[in-house]
Amino acid sequence: MLKCTFCGRKAVYNRRYAGTLLCDRCMTKSVERRFWRAVAEHKLIAPNEKIAVAVSGGKDSVAALHLIADYCKRKNCEVAAITIDEGIKGYRDRSLPVARENAEGLGVKHVVVSFKEAYGATLDEMVKVAKERKSRQHPCTYCGVMRRSLLNRAARELGADKMATAHNLDDEAQAIMLNYVRGDFSRLHRLGPIYSPREGFVPRIKPMREIPEKEIAIYALLKNMKVHLAVCPYARGIHTEIRDFLNDFDVRHPNTKFMIVRMFDRMRPYVARALPGFSPKKCKVCGEPTSGAMCKACELLKDLGFEKRKCASH
Amino acid sequence: MKKIVVAVKLYGQRKTKKIRLTQGAKVVDLLKRLKYNPDVVAVRCNKKIVPEEERLVNGDLVEIIPIVTGG
Repeated sequence: MLKCTFCGRKAVYNRRYAGTLLCDRCMTKSVERRFWRAVAEHKLIAPNEKIAVAVSGGKDSVAALHLIADYCKRKNCEVAAITIDEGIKGYRDRSLPVARENAEGLGVKHVVVSFKEAYGATLDEMVKVAKERKSRQHPCTYCGVMRRSLLNRAARELGADKMATAHNLDDEAQAIMLNYVRGDFSRLHRLGPIYSPREGFVPRIKPMREIPEKEIAIYALLKNMKVHLAVCPYARGIHTEIRDFLNDFDVRHPNTKFMIVRMFDRMRPYVARALPGFSPKKCKVCGEPTSGAMCKACELLKDLGFEKRKCASH
Repeated sequence: MKKIVVAVKLYGQRKTKKIRLTQGAKVVDLLKRLKYNPDVVAVRCNKKIVPEEERLVNGDLVEIIPIVTGG
């Protein structure tokens, strides 16, 4: 029997990058401590704030909801869950009830915003039209841009002070590498524990950014959380290639993902200084904040020939 | 060399597959045989989460849980 490095109980997890074995108790405490440390170190949540949590029903967002709900209870903060229903058949329709069940179980207000209501089409329908028009946009482009726009709007309408996403260490390392290989310098600015506000944008926080994906999964399993474990049917392309590369590399060189994120964090202040200033405008179609005349969501919808409607009240 | 037989199933599925391994084999050896990266799966052995360095014994029920999910 393998024993926990710290207390001698039966080990459940081998933390290869630290050379330690952890039991169920030490593992869950470790994940919770890392969450609390991230919140404290980066001042992510202030007392009496209202935090909207983006919850898909997957293991990361469910774990984030539980951790943030527990934190908010102790610090006199309010928490609400927002789920974006892109309308991906066989995927989102299965995770949505999981998100709802977790929010209800925690007594947290749950808001669901659908692509169909907001944009007049599900992602599946948009992908079909894009294919017919021979568009070169990947489904993740439509999904990512529109989901972020709806999350921001829903969080703003809830009166949230901050919006929390469940991005983990693996997500962050992949995003840094993706933007690097694409030469997308300006996007690097959005990465980090907190993405600071411009008018119309609710500040985004990532309290699980320094926790490996596998540790969040083990935490959710040990806590018997109800989670939806499935891969999005549209998940393919350069993003998944980078994910697979980093996972393979990390087996032989544990700690790689940590180093990628920590190195980036040291560079972040210089990246911010090198970027041009941004004067927020309002999209001429939907009124959402944008740097140009039209927001990216409206641009994409225009290319598809969909008429954008204002988000239905919820 | 003595062999052991373990039953393996994937999370969410009922069907199990019998795999023969060398006595003293670890979970990581099973994952290698099935071509799984240990970083992308969690493993339950007889319904308990185990690290990949755990040794398997004859008759173990191993459940492989893919953890790289989402988009």
